[in-house]
Amino acid sequence: MPKLPMRYLPYSLLLMVAFSCASEYKLLQPAMLDQNCVSKIRPHGLTTAWFTTSVDVVGKHLSGLLLIKNQPDSSTRVVFTNEAGITFFDFEFTKNGTFAVKRIVSQLDKKPIIQTLRKDFELTLGIPFRGVTPEAWTMNTEKWYGVKQKNEISYFITDTECASLLRLELGSTRKKKTEVFIRGKHPHDPDSVQIKHYNFAMQIELRKLMRE
Amino acid sequence: MSCFKPMPMNKIHSLTTYLLLVSLLLFRFEETFSQHTGFKPIVNFPDFKVQFKLESSKINSIVSDFAQEKVLTALTENIKSEGKFLFKRNNKVRIEYRKPFSYLVMMNGEKMLVRDNQKDNRINVKSNKLFQQINRIMIDCVQGTMLDSKDFTVKVFEDGNTFLLEMTPVSKALSQFFQTIVLLVEKKDYSAKSIEMREPNGDKTVITFINKKLNAEIADAVFAL
Repeated sequence: MPKLPMRYLPYSLLLMVAFSCASEYKLLQPAMLDQNCVSKIRPHGLTTAWFTTSVDVVGKHLSGLLLIKNQPDSSTRVVFTNEAGITFFDFEFTKNGTFAVKRIVSQLDKKPIIQTLRKDFELTLGIPFRGVTPEAWTMNTEKWYGVKQKNEISYFITDTECASLLRLELGSTRKKKTEVFIRGKHPHDPDSVQIKHYNFAMQIELRKLMRE
Repeated sequence: MSCFKPMPMNKIHSLTTYLLLVSLLLFRFEETFSQHTGFKPIVNFPDFKVQFKLESSKINSIVSDFAQEKVLTALTENIKSEGKFLFKRNNKVRIEYRKPFSYLVMMNGEKMLVRDNQKDNRINVKSNKLFQQINRIMIDCVQGTMLDSKDFTVKVFEDGNTFLLEMTPVSKALSQFFQTIVLLVEKKDYSAKSIEMREPNGDKTVITFINKKLNAEIADAVFAL
């Protein structure tokens, strides 16, 4: 096999760096905001429901039950218990966008865990899109609507016809971090929700629990 | 002119404090007695302990249905589930949730299997202190050995048909999960009637055993991991 002369090494490295830094959002093309589409598709939370839940995180598997409960004061509580009923965490997302940890067991009481779960549920509940006008883009056959928050952007993505919500996404300016797929006939009352992380190995699957 | 002299402010303050104290004491008094309505503390704890151990040791197996209800008090929400419970002396437990979700926990000695819809998770209880303690609670509750538990302090009450064991965790690790565990035991056969797990925030989970069969034959294969 021919050896690459040493003088090409800096160029090779530069090429590698350039490719690894290539933005996943470089194909987004600015577009006119379709207000009808935004009104129709913009995620606005989920109805109160229990979900069977499985969490796969860096090779570990955990299951339990998740309650998403809309409160009379317009806040939303997200409570995770195991099947035997022991509560692991209870988060509160208020109408004005504040977040509070009502309860968490010491094993999960770590800032990175809480922040990750907070962002996951904020995106799933459509909190970043509340009361703001998003920016609009197109990419291939998709319409993207995004809201900037500090150094991240939350998106909701539809098909060209704006017929349905395809997914939600959280990314930095260059890299995709999280995708949320909300499946079922009604996006606010889904049969299942899948939260997939791209910056580390974590996936959360929720399936709506049918109660008698 | 009024017959009443105005009371000095310092006396009003003392009276208010006094009334507050009395009402607080009355509240505490009422709370103590209404904690387990209809139950009174047992008279002779050492005798009860000996009798309890002896009678419980006669239970070699349990096959039972169970109904579970988790109540989230502040959120006015609850969730009910049901399933099958099997126990075989020593240290074999199978808890199978069938409705409205499918979930299995099996304990066999030092080993534990958790099976949800998607995966089997085998745990060596010995390697995880918390699992070890939770495993021990369940075994102790059905095997009648909770009075010897080092993880809890136990108070015992009774009514005509039932013993009530109020178990308060000693360790900080368990205290974050349970404020108390209340175990109801039938006087007729010393078997567990229900287990109520009260959490520090006021939520609770009650597991009630139904259609119980004691000392029925259960194959070891049922607990194979």
